[in-house]
Amino acid sequence: MRLVKITERLLAAIPLMLGVAIIVFLFMRMTPGDPVDIMMGQSGAVTAGEIERLRSEFNLDKPLHEQLLLFLGGVARGDLGNSFQRQQPVTRLIAERLPATIELALGALIFGLLVAFPIGVISAVKQNSAIDRLSMAGAFLGISMPSFWLGILLIMLFSVNLKWLPVQGRIGSDIQLQVVTGFYTIDSILTGNWPAFISSLRHLILPSITLGAAVAAIIARVLRSSLLEILRSDYVKLARAKGASETRTVMKHALRNAMIPTVTVLGLQVGVLLGGNMIVEAVFGWPGLGRLVVDAIFNRDFPLVQGAVMVYALTFILANLIVDVLYTYLNPKIEM
Amino acid sequence: MSNRISRLFALLLVMGLLVAACAPAAPAPAPAADGSQPAEPPSAGAQTIVVALTGAPTTLDPADHRSRLSETVIRNMFDGLVTRDTTNGVHLELAESAELIDPQTWEFKLRQGVKFHDGSEMTADDVVFTFNRIIQENMIEYPEPHTSPRKGLIAPLASVEKVDDYTVRFNLSAPWPPAMQLFVHQQIVPKAYLEAVGTQGFVERPVGAGPFKFVEGQLDDQIVMERFDEYWGGAPTLPPVGPACVARAIFRVIPEASTRVAALLAGEVHIIQGVPPELIGTLEAAEGVVVKTAAGTQPKWMEMNVNQPPFDNKIVRQALNHLIDKELLVEALYDGRAVVLPGVLSPYNSFADDSLTPYAYDPETALSMLAEAGIVDSDGDGRLEWNGAPWSFVVDSLDEHRTLAEAVVAQLQGAGIDASLRLWEYSVVKPLLDAGERTAYLDDWGDSAFDPVGHMEAKWHGVEAGSPYGRGNFSGYNNPRVNELIKAGETETDEARRRAIYNEAQAILYDDAPAIFLILPEEVEASRANVTNWEPASDSRINLHDVCLE
Repeated sequence: MRLVKITERLLAAIPLMLGVAIIVFLFMRMTPGDPVDIMMGQSGAVTAGEIERLRSEFNLDKPLHEQLLLFLGGVARGDLGNSFQRQQPVTRLIAERLPATIELALGALIFGLLVAFPIGVISAVKQNSAIDRLSMAGAFLGISMPSFWLGILLIMLFSVNLKWLPVQGRIGSDIQLQVVTGFYTIDSILTGNWPAFISSLRHLILPSITLGAAVAAIIARVLRSSLLEILRSDYVKLARAKGASETRTVMKHALRNAMIPTVTVLGLQVGVLLGGNMIVEAVFGWPGLGRLVVDAIFNRDFPLVQGAVMVYALTFILANLIVDVLYTYLNPKIEM
Repeated sequence: MSNRISRLFALLLVMGLLVAACAPAAPAPAPAADGSQPAEPPSAGAQTIVVALTGAPTTLDPADHRSRLSETVIRNMFDGLVTRDTTNGVHLELAESAELIDPQTWEFKLRQGVKFHDGSEMTADDVVFTFNRIIQENMIEYPEPHTSPRKGLIAPLASVEKVDDYTVRFNLSAPWPPAMQLFVHQQIVPKAYLEAVGTQGFVERPVGAGPFKFVEGQLDDQIVMERFDEYWGGAPTLPPVGPACVARAIFRVIPEASTRVAALLAGEVHIIQGVPPELIGTLEAAEGVVVKTAAGTQPKWMEMNVNQPPFDNKIVRQALNHLIDKELLVEALYDGRAVVLPGVLSPYNSFADDSLTPYAYDPETALSMLAEAGIVDSDGDGRLEWNGAPWSFVVDSLDEHRTLAEAVVAQLQGAGIDASLRLWEYSVVKPLLDAGERTAYLDDWGDSAFDPVGHMEAKWHGVEAGSPYGRGNFSGYNNPRVNELIKAGETETDEARRRAIYNEAQAILYDDAPAIFLILPEEVEASRANVTNWEPASDSRINLHDVCLE
């Protein structure tokens, strides 16, 4: 039954993606700025013929509806077109960079959860204690601190002064790694390349902390408040009255119910982690999708922006689907 | 229990599918250029130099880009017929001699025994193929057939013909004095290899005749090259000659300036490009780091719309040139690492008129000139009025010039002008500038060929729609005599006569002042102290052939 529902949801995503494709196509063309103008830049003898030629190469000389049909026809065949600036298929450019972005997002998610869970639980159990106030102040800081600033502070402290961790990149420049999946930590395990594993893990730490700080803060706060509410509920009182230990009461009875709002927020955060990491990727020289997209937007590289936005949209849809599936496990009364 | 396990399994499956869907088709591990597997990682102490770039190259195909960063990397793997030193001197590279046999024909004799990385020898066929691939239509077939974006850089080149195995003749459509400066930017590719593997194969495994050969890399991340031991040696006029000093060279992409600086301080990279003025002090104070500069190639000015009153009055434009304290800008914003522009051309341009000196900072003269044009503080409130209202206008600029633009606007305000700043994205403001709708625009215009061509016709010639003339002219300036001189200079092959032509044009432009001639910042780069024989180049080339590590 659940698999049927999942399949239904996946099929329902198709018209949604079509809508996204059309909207992003139209928005890019409504944005002021001409890709050919930007591409030509200042240098060289730019002739009228050259500009016309590029325009026709990019199909920009065709009427808008024809361009849209060409684009949608390509999408249906799994062809997102070729990047104007880089003269490479968009699918290929995205596929090369997506693993870096996902690896960083997962690193940030793991960091966020590792920090948020103990803090959220302890703050709720020891409400209004010094540790609660301290960790909630920390969470406030985590939400408010701009990631580029946090990133640079971490680099200055841990990389430049203490020299514990590398400043930037995904792996040391002296390390060679055979790429299998594009996830460097996984690839290094698959190929048994331990120096590469350690190097890629070390490179992952600071960007993960920078990207994950806000996630940790948000999750800790949500978990704390939902746990507080549940700890005051009748069934928790009953569990205590029955003589269940405090640990068992919190971990077994309260936490699972507190997970539902937490997972909802987490689902949204996964989208933010994948889509909102342009700044962290720029600060840490992380060769992911975010940097590619920012460049593409400034260069009005229509096909590349369109392709990337569709990937982001798909990620959000899938993240929401996973959240909905998780609900049914956390509370069997909920149906998809 | 088994139900729970199956649920868990289903969940894992969904997550697995997500990950699998996102992962790329596993690219094969890149074999070395000679077909063998990549070499073992170098042991500690092996000479590997790491350079931090300000952004990602767009390709490693010398014919398929319009990007300085791409060229910076490419020129370490590919050689051209000619090359340039760190200033503006052109030297013979793969060409043994170059002769202008008539005003429209260049003849190049090629060096013999030059090897490409695949072991084949360079001949006239490769040179003819390289240039035909650029100047003929639709010669680049991947990902879809298109014409080289570099065609426009060598637009006067009509055809290339092979005379014998080591002689090539270039036929021009008109005399073209700056030809040599522009041939520097075209690198030779191996015909047989490229035809065998196609453009797609070539961009994945580029092969050139330069000092380093490609090992592996992803353009957004890093590009790894190793010394080509059979390198022919490099331009004899630019010692040292022979194979490169370091065994491996790596270009890493670090777009964020403060991260580049941190990576240099931490010793992760050896050379960094694009040091912003505000971080120069940090680097100079650090141990083990050297800051170096090269003459800049991005002169900056504030153009004034000569068709909008009161800027249609030459006296107003001259007055503003006297009103801005450019020396102060150089000291305060660039820590002295910039020069004041003496006119429309960079002082490093080969045809800059030495007799011109920058407009002197003289607020009193400026105010009296403005008064002459009817702009005065008539009510004594400290603000200048024009036509009975406070004189007010917007200065447009781009975020990359923010600091300079803020300082210029502040100086205008200090003099009682109600000026304000608006920052734009270039692609958004450009159509408005082209339409003559804006009043004042602060920007730069690249001058890396050190020749007036590429610059004079773009900025100071009247706009001729659909032609290179006036393509960067945002002041609306259009002086028939200057137009005539600019066109004459493009084809005049006698150097003295050409100089006289440009001197006259520069004198007229200096007097007409369609812009506030501001400053030319130096290119600031930095290295670890153990990097020897390295100098930054004006055209942002990073020549790793000569560099050694101590």
